[in-house]
Amino acid sequence: MIEVKNISKVYKIAKKGKHGIFSREYEHRRAVDDISFSINEGEIVGFIGPNGAGKSTTIKMLSGILHPDIGSICVNGYIPYKQRKKYVANIGVVFGQKSQLNWDLPLIESFELIRYIYKIPKKKYEKNLAKFIDLLDMREFINQPVRQLSLGQKMRGDIVAALLHSPKIVFFDEPTIGLDVVAKEKIREFIKYLNRTENITMIFTTHDMQDIEKVCDRLIIIDKGHKIYDGTVSEIKRKYAARKIIEAEMADDSAADLAKFGNNVKITDISEHGKICKRFEFDSERCPVNEVMGSIFSQYDVNDISIKEPEIDGIIRDIYEGELQL
Amino acid sequence: MRAYAEFAVKKFRNQTAYRMDCFMGILKTIFSFIVYFSIYKALYGGRSDVDGITLNMVVTNFIISLGLSNAFDFNEMFLPDKISWGEISNELLKPVSFRLRLLSEHIGESIFKLVFNFVPSLIFAAFTIGMMPPSSAINMLLMAISAVMGYLILWELSFIVQTWSFWLFSVWGIIVMKNVLVNIMTGAMIPLWFMPSMLRGIISFTPFESVYFTPVRLYLGQISGSEIAVCMINQAVWIVVLFVIGDIFWKKGTKKLVVQGG
Amino acid sequence: MDELKVMAKALKMSFHARMQYKADSIVATLAVFFRESTGIIVIYLTLMKFDTLGDWNINELLFLYSILFLTYSAVVVLFADLRDFSRMIREGRFDRLMLTPRGLLIQLISNNADVIAAFGHGGLGVLLFIVSASRVGITWNFTTTIYYISAIIGGILIQGGMFVFFSSLSFYFVETNSLRDIFYWQMRRFAGYPISIFGKFFQTIMIYVVPFAFVNYFPAQYLLRKSDLAQYPELYIYVAPLVGVVLYTAAYLFWRISVKNYKSTGN
Repeated sequence: MIEVKNISKVYKIAKKGKHGIFSREYEHRRAVDDISFSINEGEIVGFIGPNGAGKSTTIKMLSGILHPDIGSICVNGYIPYKQRKKYVANIGVVFGQKSQLNWDLPLIESFELIRYIYKIPKKKYEKNLAKFIDLLDMREFINQPVRQLSLGQKMRGDIVAALLHSPKIVFFDEPTIGLDVVAKEKIREFIKYLNRTENITMIFTTHDMQDIEKVCDRLIIIDKGHKIYDGTVSEIKRKYAARKIIEAEMADDSAADLAKFGNNVKITDISEHGKICKRFEFDSERCPVNEVMGSIFSQYDVNDISIKEPEIDGIIRDIYEGELQL
Repeated sequence: MRAYAEFAVKKFRNQTAYRMDCFMGILKTIFSFIVYFSIYKALYGGRSDVDGITLNMVVTNFIISLGLSNAFDFNEMFLPDKISWGEISNELLKPVSFRLRLLSEHIGESIFKLVFNFVPSLIFAAFTIGMMPPSSAINMLLMAISAVMGYLILWELSFIVQTWSFWLFSVWGIIVMKNVLVNIMTGAMIPLWFMPSMLRGIISFTPFESVYFTPVRLYLGQISGSEIAVCMINQAVWIVVLFVIGDIFWKKGTKKLVVQGG
Repeated sequence: MDELKVMAKALKMSFHARMQYKADSIVATLAVFFRESTGIIVIYLTLMKFDTLGDWNINELLFLYSILFLTYSAVVVLFADLRDFSRMIREGRFDRLMLTPRGLLIQLISNNADVIAAFGHGGLGVLLFIVSASRVGITWNFTTTIYYISAIIGGILIQGGMFVFFSSLSFYFVETNSLRDIFYWQMRRFAGYPISIFGKFFQTIMIYVVPFAFVNYFPAQYLLRKSDLAQYPELYIYVAPLVGVVLYTAAYLFWRISVKNYKSTGN
């Protein structure tokens, strides 16, 4: 369905402050650097990475807004940036931060305009609209001006706006940003339902790992323009199950160390509210849990101790911070 | 006082960052000189004077009044926007007078534009379309003092209208209409010499005449003796009157804000 | 045809959206009306003193001015997005157009309309036309009416073409507003007057560079035949309606080339 081969994109950025009336100095930044992947029909793929990693640029190239400088993209038989009009008729894009709804008018008016723009047959439009209104509980606010809607209601509106023409592929760019837990959950369920029932291929960027865990089967991590992980969500968890975290509360702040493990155990001070606490992070394949535990008990005067399983959030954070190598 | 001088200096420095805008601003001013010069050249059609006013005097009037009006031009929606976005309460909590701060910043901006817009345009105009020299050094000085007073009148007029945003949903339209009056009645677009006499009579009872026309007449030496004092006192009286009106609106407005919690 | 349907729907939406703030819209429309009247009032007061500007009397000048307002009123209905194009790019709203299966320029033209400016300028244009048209000695017959209408359309295309051209520059340069300020807005101030009163330099610009002369001066001259027309080739009054078509086509081609250069904003 989606075939991406070795794409790169370089931005020319004007240096701040350094410009005369007619000339500027530029620096080149490689926003996307040699990324390849392929996605099958019906997959939901999560795209994550820190800000400025190249997610948005990749999504923009996939959706036909930008040309890759190098490499090729083929989606659903089209080359997005060359056959823009034909291609975009088959995709939907939701930008969490950029609404396409008319602020001053009822939602339904914006949907009507989309019907004209996409030349959606009246029957199909009405069927789709009725279905989405039902699934997303939109009946009460469909006739209210958008400016009066809550963030979650607006986002639901934007999602429907991107789906009315029955696209085969949908890109979601941070669709849950700024929403409360309930609104997020509603949107996640809807996306999953749609994927299951209509077999729509979906690409999903987010900063919320809950989105990924609950919605996506597959995860692509991008950092500094490179793809650093591509695999299932469960695999990444399994792979790092070996990573253990022990947190302990000490009776006193003696400066003991676990020198025999060298750099293999990372110790951080997490003391708060007058309690002296330390966190020990390590790979249980290199340093067996019982040995580390033993050392902690022998070196410190321990009041309380607990072992934590790694959460996806923590793993991803560590990947971004360069603490975990993939 | 130090703080307010700092505000002015800071604003002045800020302006230096927009070199392209500055360059275009000069062109804009020069263009407006040329438009009015061309119109009056055609209107005069070779006559040496009309009612004793020569083409050179008309040109001098336009250069001073349009030049000053471009230099004094500023963003009049700054205060209204602060009020309608509810940011004004924060400003009022700061230990400086917000009103004085606005004025000082605007003075800083205007001085910048006087130096980098008015002066260059003036030099260009003097060499190309013919501007009369001041009738004497004293007149030049009087013009400068009078222009400062004219500026204060203009600023206070604008301030009064801006404070109405404490009560109105949007004052943009009112500001625009105020500027229509200012542009026509101050003589920035038609010299007051040529105004129909009835309108001229009405204008003499408004503060508009004091904004540019008094400085222009002082520059040209059209006012002499005790009349100079009368005109300048007239300007001073308007400054005081407008200040009092603005003060009333400002105090009522900010009080309303405190009562209603902005 | 289908594009027209979208355009009608979008125009209706622009109007409805504005009508959500009725009082404010009416005040704003009046404000635009009065702001634009400033120049008219000034001309009127000036001519009370001087009777004529060159060979032109007050009614003829008002007629000349009315074309400027009438055409601009249509320009802001059609080209509002292009007028504010650099802001659109900066805010990343152009991306959305690229995701829609329609031509880019046609979307820009049909999506938004500046209803306030359209009524403000349009109202003034109609008023000036009514006041002046019957007093300037034009015999309104089939030929003059057809000429007048095509000249208005030509004038809309000239100004639309300029907006398309300046918008295309946004694909190459970050800041294009100041350039447009000088070449569109400043030149438009000149265009309110018969160009013959200006120096050769500005006349040349108004005829050959930013051809405002073909928006109102030459069309008005076809109908009025004032003596200063002798300074220009008579051909110009006949080709005036065509200049818009040529200029717009050229601007469109430039747009087609330039849009390939589009780089979305960073994030």
